[in-house]
Amino acid sequence: MKRTGLPDWLSDALPEQAAAPNEIAQAARSQVESIGLPGLRDEEWRWTNLRAIQRGRFNAPSGVGADIEPGTRLPLDNPVRLRFVDGVFQGVPDDVPEGVTLTALADADETTRAAAFSPKPAPSVDNPNDALVTLNTAMAREGVVVDVAANTVVERPIVIEWLDGATESVMSHPRVLVRLGQSAAATLLEHIETVGEQPAWRNSVIVSTIAANAALTHIALGLDGESRLTTARTFAELDRDARYHSYNIQLGGRMIRREYDIHVGGSGAHTDLIGLMMPRGKQLLDTHTRITHAAADTTSNEHYRTIADDAGRGVFKGRILIEEDAQRIEAYQSSNNLLLSDNAEIDAKPELEIYADDVSCSHGATIGRLDQEALFYLRTRGVPLAEARGLLIAGFAQEVIDELPLTDLRDWLTGQVEQRLGERSLPADSDA
Amino acid sequence: MALLEIKNLHAEIDGKEILKGIDLSINAGEVHAIMGPNGSGKSTLCHVLGGRDGYEVTKGSITFDGHDLLEMETEERAIAGLLLGFQHPVEIPGVKNIYLLKEALNAKREAQGLDEIDTFSFMKQVRELVASMDMDDAFLHRGVNAGFSGGEKKRNEILQMLLLEPKLALLDETDSGLDIDALKVVSDGINRMRGEERGIILVTHYQRLLNYVEPDFVHVLYKGKIIKSGDKSLAHRLEAEGYQEILEEAS
Repeated sequence: MKRTGLPDWLSDALPEQAAAPNEIAQAARSQVESIGLPGLRDEEWRWTNLRAIQRGRFNAPSGVGADIEPGTRLPLDNPVRLRFVDGVFQGVPDDVPEGVTLTALADADETTRAAAFSPKPAPSVDNPNDALVTLNTAMAREGVVVDVAANTVVERPIVIEWLDGATESVMSHPRVLVRLGQSAAATLLEHIETVGEQPAWRNSVIVSTIAANAALTHIALGLDGESRLTTARTFAELDRDARYHSYNIQLGGRMIRREYDIHVGGSGAHTDLIGLMMPRGKQLLDTHTRITHAAADTTSNEHYRTIADDAGRGVFKGRILIEEDAQRIEAYQSSNNLLLSDNAEIDAKPELEIYADDVSCSHGATIGRLDQEALFYLRTRGVPLAEARGLLIAGFAQEVIDELPLTDLRDWLTGQVEQRLGERSLPADSDA
Repeated sequence: MALLEIKNLHAEIDGKEILKGIDLSINAGEVHAIMGPNGSGKSTLCHVLGGRDGYEVTKGSITFDGHDLLEMETEERAIAGLLLGFQHPVEIPGVKNIYLLKEALNAKREAQGLDEIDTFSFMKQVRELVASMDMDDAFLHRGVNAGFSGGEKKRNEILQMLLLEPKLALLDETDSGLDIDALKVVSDGINRMRGEERGIILVTHYQRLLNYVEPDFVHVLYKGKIIKSGDKSLAHRLEAEGYQEILEEAS
């Protein structure tokens, strides 16, 4: 099949000079011009249509909006803020915790920039499924490098504020590198917010390397917003005894596609991937995860939930690959999904690929409506139908929220979910 | 006027008639036991009284405290004072016990024209009840029945009853599957609910519960009909002679 290549407006926007080292940028550039954007025929994209981006005619950011602030205050204890307005990095803050080094990507040395563009597991530059990373590599000029020195435990959360949509029809391709030294620990939180009514497309990549015995907690919190288009990819490479804890909470956006590639590459390493997606209206919220157990005695635990309302769509695909020499692996995955309306849709697919023989692995996916037994039980206690529904939906979300490590943020999220349930137009669903 | 008046009740599920003409009258202050072998219609009767979807009443009437029960939604029945204790209480992970108790109590208070209960008095009352059911406070912050043992689930049912103070408590096989310690705690809870203003229906397969909670009346349900009623000695006869004797006598 002949591929159509990049749309002209996107091809025209490819920069002469990108942040990636020249050789890498050039290779990416020539590949992406021929393979174009992923389409429904590409295996990893069969549920997620990028038409809104294809037709979007987005422009590079103009640098407007430096005074933009997030509209939502998250309850965080003295965060280190790294602000991106329409993908443009607003600079390194003055007050940086000891043991942490923050560098604008443009100011980083060549070795560091090479690291930012050489994630493990490596995406293949000519694979259409990976075309958006390749595009990011070709386009990225903005970004930040977060280095945490060995044995440093950073108490303050490091917050990347993605403030999208400040200017009209803007696109951005930022790249972030996070490196944790041996036995370091840090919390990275993506605060994702639409700050205007304008459609905006962000195609961002976070590359993280977690050295031996270090632990990275990565929370991605996407607030509601109708106009946001996001394609975001995270790479995490784990050395011996390293931990990567991911919490992916997506409360809205027009089309949000998140991908996680976790390379569990040192024995004793562990990863948790926890997720909650709540599409409503005509939103599409999509997460694809790929965990590679490349070393023996490694573990992973994945738990995703989607609650789709109105004509919202949720997509979850979780792949677990266990390599031949990776013995004594424990890998658990569950995907539980709740449909609240006849027009909502959820696609959930687990995918296991196991080449080792000493493996304890399980997965399960469920898609259903509200539990009628539970609804009846609550009503026999005098709880009215609408409230009983609300309790069950909130309870379903709460089981994911309860896994979040920050107590204040947990309570805040519980409140957000309750507020959303209060906004439901009843009786929209037919599960009474 | 009786608290609950069931007249010539016929009900079916999926077109199959299960209840075939039940007459039953219960006054406040009375404890009634409804006994019967498996498949006699005990659970169907409970579900019909609770207002569960899928059960169709084809004939007869049910009056509860002056209301036409069959015209009421499930939650309206509860608020009017009819509480159903489940044979298999449903597990609802994610919804904390404390939320359910508060929602349920406030739903009732709202119907009575009262303000929401203040948190302090609510917690005090709930903690006392939790202790009285030999349960741990930690249970309040766990999901409703989530991961509970059979005994814990049944204790939880009684706890809800003690808090919500129904006019009529309908307990569906509350004693089945309980070990003796749990049975004692549950029976003790039921006995504390007994009072002049309250009716209690114990639906049970076994006579054992009735050693701990003495009923005023015992009814034998068989093939969708009450075939014999009597005092507590009827339960002892059932235990000693089995259902067969009674069935033959009634026919």
